[in-house]
Amino acid sequence: MAKARAIIKRRKAVENIRKITRTMELIATNRFKKALNRAVEAEAYTRKIAELVAELGKASHETQHPLLVERPRVERSLLLVLTSNRGLAGGYNANVLRAATNRIQDDGTAGIGTDLEVAGKRGITYFRFRKLTPQTTYTHFEDKPQYADIEVLADRYIKLFLTGSIDRLDVAYTEFVSSSRQVAVVRTLLPVTSLEVAVRARGTPAAATPGTKVSLREPVPYEFAPDAASILEELVPVSFKVRLFKCFLDAAVSEQIARMVAMGGATKNADDLAKSLTRQYNRARQSQITRELADIVGATAALD
Amino acid sequence: MAKAFEEEIVGDEKAAPKKGSKRIHLVVVTPEKAVLDALVDFVAVPLFDGEAGFLPGRSPLIGRLGYGELRTRSADQLERYFVDGGFVQVRDNAVTILTPRAIPAREIDVNAAMESQKALEASRPTSLFEAGERDKGMARARGMIRMASKR
Repeated sequence: MAKARAIIKRRKAVENIRKITRTMELIATNRFKKALNRAVEAEAYTRKIAELVAELGKASHETQHPLLVERPRVERSLLLVLTSNRGLAGGYNANVLRAATNRIQDDGTAGIGTDLEVAGKRGITYFRFRKLTPQTTYTHFEDKPQYADIEVLADRYIKLFLTGSIDRLDVAYTEFVSSSRQVAVVRTLLPVTSLEVAVRARGTPAAATPGTKVSLREPVPYEFAPDAASILEELVPVSFKVRLFKCFLDAAVSEQIARMVAMGGATKNADDLAKSLTRQYNRARQSQITRELADIVGATAALD
Repeated sequence: MAKAFEEEIVGDEKAAPKKGSKRIHLVVVTPEKAVLDALVDFVAVPLFDGEAGFLPGRSPLIGRLGYGELRTRSADQLERYFVDGGFVQVRDNAVTILTPRAIPAREIDVNAAMESQKALEASRPTSLFEAGERDKGMARARGMIRMASKR
């Protein structure tokens, strides 16, 4: 009976793990929905800013702002890497970190010094292992990044950029393309390359419809206070902040999706394993009964 | 920039619009969410150089906001918010306000504002950039304190 009992023990362990992964999957699903809602709500602001930029662009064609100026020689760049605080999210962190490491290596060969800033415990331990010391680390951006926190960050980057401490700002994060597709990317946020804030339909009809309505609106003669050019100038840092915030929101949504998928897979695996263990157990039990029966039959035959 | 104020001056706030007339669709959005989406009779916004009031039928306008009080009135309901800079767009009886923060008047933290004002007064900016930041911070703190004292 020893073998059968060992199998039962293993099956119990697998079932317990299944319960845990299933719960984690449900939690991740819930968090994903919340994160997506936040991202969709934030889209309203982004869309309005894009609309303003378009309206102002018609009135004034030349925008000049130090944040728009590309430096002829990039000597120092800053790379912000967005990873998660917790693991068990499949390839989520690995993908971002791979993209970030590639960028650091490329910068190294191009002779650009890279300052590293990392958000999320996973990234911090990875870079510690790689012996690349991050300048600053953050662990307070959970799955609900607050705009106020990110604005502080953005203001600091703007200051670093304007004072010439850095010539470029890159962010490595997981971009949310759709619920079934997230890509780890490295994007350059400073200098601001174009004012066009990307407005994507989030796959939800609520987000898509107003976006199309905006472009169909007929032009009206606006009055500007002050003039269009100086409002546009004021919009430059705002559009940078919105983009940075979007990076964080995207990362938060993608993290939850990655965890959901990883835990879904783990649950399915546990199911399969429990099934095959049950079969093994049944077989072991049956063979033991057969063996005992054979013993009894053999013994009675000997007595006769 | 007195142009912005010619049509509706703040004094018009008392002149209640006739019943059944058009109302303003006011939307206040921050990067995190839409704070307010309501039909109102009157809106006063803090433009960068002073307050401007909008009544229904205002001609299209895009303006930069300063730090100060956003006031809305619908029927006899008066609501006050502190807006932290941003932009305003007016068209087709719709006023859209884009601001990093919109705080209801009673939730303003006066002590924090006082402290930040003191800290800024004590600071000595060493560059043009820092001086600009200091001015912005001062204007923000002053706006908050002014609003809180009106309670």
